[in-house]
Amino acid sequence: MEEAPVASDNNILLDVRGLKVHFPIEKGVILKKIVGHIRAVDGVDFEIRRGETLGLVGESGCGKSTTARAIAQLYEPTAGEIYFEGKDLCKLNKGDLLEARMHMQMIFQDPYASLNPRMTIGDIIAEPLQIYRGRGFLQVSSSDIRKRVEDLLEKVGLSRYFVNRFPHEFSGGQKQRIGIARALALNPKLILADEPVSALDVSIQSQILNLLHDLQEEFGLTYLFIAHDLAVIHHISTRVAVMYLGVIVEIAGSAVLYDDPLHPYTKALLSAVPIPDPEVERTRKRIILEGDVPSPDRERHGCYFYDRCSQRMDICSTNIPHLTEMKPDHRVACFLYFKPS
Amino acid sequence: MDAWRRLKKNRMAIFGMALVIFYSLLSLLAAILPIHSFKHQVLDHQYLPPSLTKTAGELLYERQENTSMDAAKNEGRNELNEKEKEELSVLKQRIENETMVFDGKTVKVHQKRYFLGTDALGRDLLARIIYGGQVSISIGLVGTLTAVLIGLIIGAMAGYLGRSFDYIAMRIVDIMYGLPYMLLVIIFMAIFGRNVINLFLCLALVSWLTLARVVRGQIISLKNSEFVQAARVVGASTGRIVFRHLVPNTLGVVVVFTTLQIPSFILMESFLSYLGLGVQAPLASWGSLVRDGVDGMKSYPWLLFFPGLTMTVFLFSMNFLGDGLRDALDPQSKNRL
Amino acid sequence: MQNQEILRVENLKTYFNTDDGIVKAVDGVSFTLNQGETLGIVGESGCGKSVMNLSVMRLIPSPPGKITGGDIFFHGKSVLAMSEDELRDLRGNKISMIFQDPMTSLNPFLRISTQLVETLQLHQGLSKSEAREKAIQMLRMVGIPTPEKRIDAYPHQFSGGMRQRAMIAMALSCNPEILIADEPTTALDVTIQAQILEIIKDLTVKLNTAVILITHDLGVVSGLCNKICVMYAGRIVERGSTADLFRDPKHPYTRGLIRSVPRLDKTSHERLYSIPGTPPNLINVPECCPFHPRCEHTMDICCGKFPEETDFGNEHRTSCWLCSDGGGSGGV
Repeated sequence: MEEAPVASDNNILLDVRGLKVHFPIEKGVILKKIVGHIRAVDGVDFEIRRGETLGLVGESGCGKSTTARAIAQLYEPTAGEIYFEGKDLCKLNKGDLLEARMHMQMIFQDPYASLNPRMTIGDIIAEPLQIYRGRGFLQVSSSDIRKRVEDLLEKVGLSRYFVNRFPHEFSGGQKQRIGIARALALNPKLILADEPVSALDVSIQSQILNLLHDLQEEFGLTYLFIAHDLAVIHHISTRVAVMYLGVIVEIAGSAVLYDDPLHPYTKALLSAVPIPDPEVERTRKRIILEGDVPSPDRERHGCYFYDRCSQRMDICSTNIPHLTEMKPDHRVACFLYFKPS
Repeated sequence: MDAWRRLKKNRMAIFGMALVIFYSLLSLLAAILPIHSFKHQVLDHQYLPPSLTKTAGELLYERQENTSMDAAKNEGRNELNEKEKEELSVLKQRIENETMVFDGKTVKVHQKRYFLGTDALGRDLLARIIYGGQVSISIGLVGTLTAVLIGLIIGAMAGYLGRSFDYIAMRIVDIMYGLPYMLLVIIFMAIFGRNVINLFLCLALVSWLTLARVVRGQIISLKNSEFVQAARVVGASTGRIVFRHLVPNTLGVVVVFTTLQIPSFILMESFLSYLGLGVQAPLASWGSLVRDGVDGMKSYPWLLFFPGLTMTVFLFSMNFLGDGLRDALDPQSKNRL
Repeated sequence: MQNQEILRVENLKTYFNTDDGIVKAVDGVSFTLNQGETLGIVGESGCGKSVMNLSVMRLIPSPPGKITGGDIFFHGKSVLAMSEDELRDLRGNKISMIFQDPMTSLNPFLRISTQLVETLQLHQGLSKSEAREKAIQMLRMVGIPTPEKRIDAYPHQFSGGMRQRAMIAMALSCNPEILIADEPTTALDVTIQAQILEIIKDLTVKLNTAVILITHDLGVVSGLCNKICVMYAGRIVERGSTADLFRDPKHPYTRGLIRSVPRLDKTSHERLYSIPGTPPNLINVPECCPFHPRCEHTMDICCGKFPEETDFGNEHRTSCWLCSDGGGSGGV
């Protein structure tokens, strides 16, 4: 399971190992006591190669957004390492972290909440450039910045004359384009896209997905794409990782995951997605899962999916399956496929 | 913005705003207005009632006439005797010719008209009200702005930094809320002297509390928004986030607080003046005018009525404006779809 | 299958008076619902589907909004002419509704039992203990485990999926003739969505309830509905049986929508088809086909007049000038 040291493989842009993010649950008024933890991310390993799109999919509470935010260093990881271009982000000092951040940007889910309502969109997009110029990382003049902002607006399909307008004057889809322009401002290598199309209408969704696709080709971007809509993930990703309760249960190439899902959760998830075709829908066999998506607040000693799994065995409750490669580039964490060591 | 449009629809608020602007203009332009001075005393003109048409001289003449008639009636006569008539004509002479020098200009002093009457020292009430307005409004404004500055900074830092800073700051706020602020103000003024600057300062020092709490609440609710997270991802420092991103988004509550706090300040000042701790003579403020007017309430009602009315109307206007602003700036007010 | 008509909406118009002008949220919508049918109303945000839905039960907030035209007939009787008492008998009893977010449509201060029992006592005249029995039975039917214990819980003690089930139980407890479900699964996870859709399917077949399902998700209507109306800018632009609509969509918007949704069973990493432009502004809409700014096949006549309906047989109709000259599938 151990891979070759990261530094030697230049192809891997992001390498996440053993990432854990636990939020303490506090009780008490004056003297706060920690009574437990929300284990939002509970041991996640994956890597992203240059130029590819890794889709991270799962239902609410599975930890996918928290993973992205931990990578962006918005949350401090409780454990684990995040190697970006060979350097562990968790161990960098402030200055180096700032430099690393220049190459790793984020797009957010809610177009209405991710833009400061009191700033013009020109200022919003220019802000990263102004900050980095102020810290000495960029040597650009104000007119350079202005020109870049106008170029970025046009790149994302908006008119350059919108620079002095405010976010509330735009529709949801346009706001999302502004957010994308902001993420591109520093010419990053990696973009963490946290559910960028979930809040948009269907007809706008496809426009934004196409835009992201075109930008990836033009700038050679690498994406970590998070969503709960399996069809969208399937469409845009090269590889897909399925998360459940803070861990990855299966990770494989996009086409492979659909054609040959191994983990029972992946199978259930795929069968639950409605397909816009009545002939197909009528003849489908649906796997309906029992119960609800549980909350990640207990320490687990067995498979995380045990409670809802229709194929559970005794060993599943006493041992934790780890991601193991069963077929080339297809890893799964399930004792149906291997024995616990 | 559409907040302005919403405000325009609120007639009371616009009415209030118009009045506030009117008052402010009067105060600003007081020096060039064609009114009498607020401090020149003409002792002869003591306690003249308000009159739109009659000059001071005519009023004095009338008064003398009435007094003489009353005296005559007391003696059983219906007519004035020779002595009294002579006194009247001497008075008439004086009225037509007497002059006084004010600021180097010689003026026929009894030709003045006092629209709102005069006070105990013969000073024009209208002028005193206008100049008093200058003092009251500026105390309200400056004091409020100082309180806003203090409250904003402390509230923003407490909200964003959280933990110990927040805890300590809020405990200080809690303690100060419990203290009787008027007592603090009185002690402060007693120790540091009774001038207008000290008045501003100590009123501001006790008034920043509510704003600090409100701003802190806003900041706490905003600090986990996605646009703040986005700012952190693009490398913004804490200072930049607080002052460029968070504070501008609290402006709604700050503006409303300001317009509602100004009347409060004016009232506090007037209370202090009533106690004799406010502005000192010859300066006037609405509060001190009210104080002076209370004593002669029965005989000279205009001395209490006009300053009181002026102040009340101003406070109402600011309150209407503040309420209107709050409804206009709140995107979830009742008339929205 | 009985084809008795239960609900008929004729040329319904609901307008809202706002600061910026008149919003024509629903601008001439007509459809019928027969017993046992499941009708899907499909459209994106702002197309008017929710407003139309609220109009049917006369739940439009009246200062800004008003039903300005058309009528709604329930078993032939005009809903707009009903008195308050008759309306009360209609709502919750004969026509029931479930909403998107169960957290805001269940009263957080009342226990589930109170809310369920109240409805039953009010509409069915049961005694308190009878109503409680029936309520527990309903909760069991929607798949809530140990309902006798859980009935006394508060809404926040239930998960999202369970709350939605409780809502369904409440809506179906009085055995209504029509269930209106407004985006019932949009806020739910996909595995929970599958559960809820199964429940709706099972129960409505068992109780012979007609369903109006409002959603933007084409996959959901494919699985659940036998008739579909596609709405755009307050009007229905295409209607027909689910099979017809997907097999041979006539209106450019319907086609665009179907083509722009990524499908799980079709691998394609190329660009998706996307409908250009943005959803329309509903304020002061001129008389025209509302889709024409975004339509690839727009003609001059499209800017002038709203298209007449063309019938393709089997109740498959569309409002499009492209199809109306000559009928049959034109050009594309």
